[in-house]
Amino acid sequence: MLLSPFVGLLVLLCLKNEQKFLIRAVSVVASGVSLALAIFVFVTYDKGLGGLQFVEKYEWVKTFGITYFVGVEGLNAPMLLLTGIVIFTGCLTMWELENRTKEYFIWMMALVTGVFGVFMSYDMFFFFLFYEIAVVPMYILILVWGSTRKEYAAMKLTLFLMAGSGLIIPGILLLYSSSGLNTFNMLLLHQAHFSPWVQKVAFILLFFGFGVLAAVWPLHTWSPVGHVAAPTAVSMLHAGVLMKLGSFAILRVAMFLLPEGFQYWANLMMILATAGIVYGVFVGLAQTDLKYVIGYSSVSHMGIVCLGLATGTIDGLNGAVFQMFAHGIMTALFFSSVGYIYDRTHTRDIHELGGFSKIMPIASAFFITAALCGAGVPGMASFWAELLVFVAAVKVFPIAGILAIAALVLGALFALRVVQNSFFNTPNPKFVHFEDVSPFLAIPRMILIAAMLFFGFFPQIMVSMIKSSIVPFLQGM
Amino acid sequence: MDMMLFGPELFYLGMALVFFCFTLRRQVQVKLDYQIALALSAIGVLVTGYCLFQHGDLFFKAYRVDLFSQIFKFALALGLFLVLMISHNLAQIEERYQAEFYFFLTTTTIGMMMLVSSVELLTIYVALELSSYSLYILVPLRRGDGIDVEAGIKYLFIGAVSSGFMLFGLSYIFGATGSTYLVDILPKMSLLVNSPIGIIGVLLAMAGFFFKLSVFPFHFWAPDVYQGGANQVVTFIATASKAAAVALLLRLAVLAQGSGYNFTIALVILSAVSMTLGNLVAIVQKDFKRMLAYSSIAHAGVFLMGVLTITEAGYIGAIYYALAYLVMNFTVFMVLSEVATDGRDLKIAELAGLYRRSPLLMMSLILGIFALAGVPPSIGFTGKLLIFTSAMNSGYFWLVLIGAVNGTICLYYYLKVIYAAYFIDDPGLPVITLSLPIKLLNYALAAIIIGFGFCPDRIIELAKAAAKTLL
Repeated sequence: MLLSPFVGLLVLLCLKNEQKFLIRAVSVVASGVSLALAIFVFVTYDKGLGGLQFVEKYEWVKTFGITYFVGVEGLNAPMLLLTGIVIFTGCLTMWELENRTKEYFIWMMALVTGVFGVFMSYDMFFFFLFYEIAVVPMYILILVWGSTRKEYAAMKLTLFLMAGSGLIIPGILLLYSSSGLNTFNMLLLHQAHFSPWVQKVAFILLFFGFGVLAAVWPLHTWSPVGHVAAPTAVSMLHAGVLMKLGSFAILRVAMFLLPEGFQYWANLMMILATAGIVYGVFVGLAQTDLKYVIGYSSVSHMGIVCLGLATGTIDGLNGAVFQMFAHGIMTALFFSSVGYIYDRTHTRDIHELGGFSKIMPIASAFFITAALCGAGVPGMASFWAELLVFVAAVKVFPIAGILAIAALVLGALFALRVVQNSFFNTPNPKFVHFEDVSPFLAIPRMILIAAMLFFGFFPQIMVSMIKSSIVPFLQGM
Repeated sequence: MDMMLFGPELFYLGMALVFFCFTLRRQVQVKLDYQIALALSAIGVLVTGYCLFQHGDLFFKAYRVDLFSQIFKFALALGLFLVLMISHNLAQIEERYQAEFYFFLTTTTIGMMMLVSSVELLTIYVALELSSYSLYILVPLRRGDGIDVEAGIKYLFIGAVSSGFMLFGLSYIFGATGSTYLVDILPKMSLLVNSPIGIIGVLLAMAGFFFKLSVFPFHFWAPDVYQGGANQVVTFIATASKAAAVALLLRLAVLAQGSGYNFTIALVILSAVSMTLGNLVAIVQKDFKRMLAYSSIAHAGVFLMGVLTITEAGYIGAIYYALAYLVMNFTVFMVLSEVATDGRDLKIAELAGLYRRSPLLMMSLILGIFALAGVPPSIGFTGKLLIFTSAMNSGYFWLVLIGAVNGTICLYYYLKVIYAAYFIDDPGLPVITLSLPIKLLNYALAAIIIGFGFCPDRIIELAKAAAKTLL
């Protein structure tokens, strides 16, 4: 799975810039293969057996205890599936790209290789290596193919994320050296006993380091700006998958290795998460740019993930992972439909769009579906995820849980207002001549909606998958 | 005496003689000189590579040939060869001086080769001066408007001052232990390392190499020399010369083994200040080479971090990073000198449109810059991580934190380079055509940066064996 985008990258390097069709075809095939593999892994993973499956392990650097160690379990299988879906639809969405096509897809493939790598790695060295590979191409992707203050946004995003890495490195190395085991292998490190000081310091370093990428309030400020500036597929990937890297890493590295540190800081996590949920909802409502609206709603949805993690219960973690998946699909759909509208009209202003559903009914329908999902309407995947998180949150942190629910209900009300203003007012005569989404370009969006509905109607598939890992995970803590 | 032990040095001595004869000619034959220099240095790389696994003692045990010295000799030979690869167009050096250019480059290489093998204080000093004097002459060799002279004078003066410091330190060590042989000094040092004389002696003795590595407070020459020297000379100073300095710092730091807090705190401060100062000042630079000079000051801090642990892991990291730094810094300088065909100083803004003018150079630039910034998967990342790991293992948590934060700061100015080259376009600038050898060189460097960054095991094992010979 890791190989297919990488091979795609190598093939792309060899192609000439003029062969645009071939370039696109190769990237779509490469991402399609990884999607197929992700589905295969997801379906064939043996839930009854649990634990790590599909393991690959090679000694890499003996002197420093680095092993190449990848595998799949219930926690990362949904993430892999998510990445596969988003990258495949992302490549299809960017089919129309004309400017420096080859370079675009090369960077894109590099990014995806990194993302897959992070989700599968069980060695901290490779975890961090892939993490950085996933982060750095963003700079160039936004800089060259972005819009709206892209230079500022690209630099801000990169510096924020690298500052996060600046905290992660000492955190990881602190674990490595204080364990005294001379290994980067997470499963081995899990058995080591860290002193309380190490637990606390390392946890907070890792939490804020990865938290930057997960847009934990108040470290989120790069994310709306970055999402607005990024080209469509990159926004999809970034909001859909990359932010999940951050929360996944908090779960995988910080909470897994440092249970006592987690206990110590859980209240802080809860406060920041709730602040993020409330803040994201309210700031998002004041925006008039559709992408900013989505950007801030992402902040609040990632807050839900973080709240779920902070509860430290089976339901909470289950909901958090499910929410990562649901939110990933949902945001991808959001950005994909906004991107389509923006490419035609060159505006994302709510009021200027006016009654857009009369001009592009299909494109608008995509957006509205995503908005419903964002509001947590039953039948959508995110409904179950949020339900799980809130059930857990109200039990563990009653006040925070109620606050978050209240904010979300308000948010839903306002989200409908956004939809109304931009899609059901009087149509703007400027845009009447635009055509609606063609069947071919509708395919990626349909895939996303299908995934959302599928897991909305059959949440048990996902929940049992995640549960198969969460239970031993929590026992380990 | 086995000739092969002294093989590389003898070979380069012969090469220097050849060019000495060339400097005496009346007519200049630029093309011929260049081809001979390139061919000889290529053979030199092979010779040093052949001698890689030699070991033994020479000259009354003042000169030790072991894996450690041979690795660095190989790096130096490689550095010379690479610098000559991009010397096909010495626009900034007058034609009648070009034979001297090759001659002094060769002698400074010999000096550094002797340096990495010396295990006796006076031999170290003599070898250091041999390499330094050649560079003192090379820097002002550039045809310029006075900036070269300023650079040359600064380099000479600061070099002389740091040599003075170093001699002072060496005299302390000699006075306290009564020997100039490192082998004899080492056992006696264990009694001295926590007394002022021992600490000051070793620290001052290291000063000569702080100068070469441009560690704060011996860094003042770096920006002016980088900007004022000819591109090729600066490339040599920025790559091979640094590797030699790291090698000697590693050798001398062994003296302070077991010294504990008193000694290392000084190095910790120097390391932290070097990193922070270099990175912060680099942000505001507009001249590409000047920016690289400040980045080299910052990297000197990283090297020190590996040195000050005085553990095997730290030494592995430092050796690995020294080799990595040679390759990645050279990659950036190669792009610089290929873009500035007339040998001028390149502003960062003048990189505009590089992605269109030469996609290959753009690729090399991205790889080189990202490697310098420590972004994976590159040798720069792996090297930095090894050094950080060893420092953390030795308990320098705050230093690692400062280093990691500096990793973020440095990214800002490195990204500005990428930004200028990849995003801004200037339609007026012509396409850059590269000759075949340079193209091959580009691919080779890219392969090394990625390949050994992702699979560092072989190099680490080699560095481990080398570090064992020191400790």
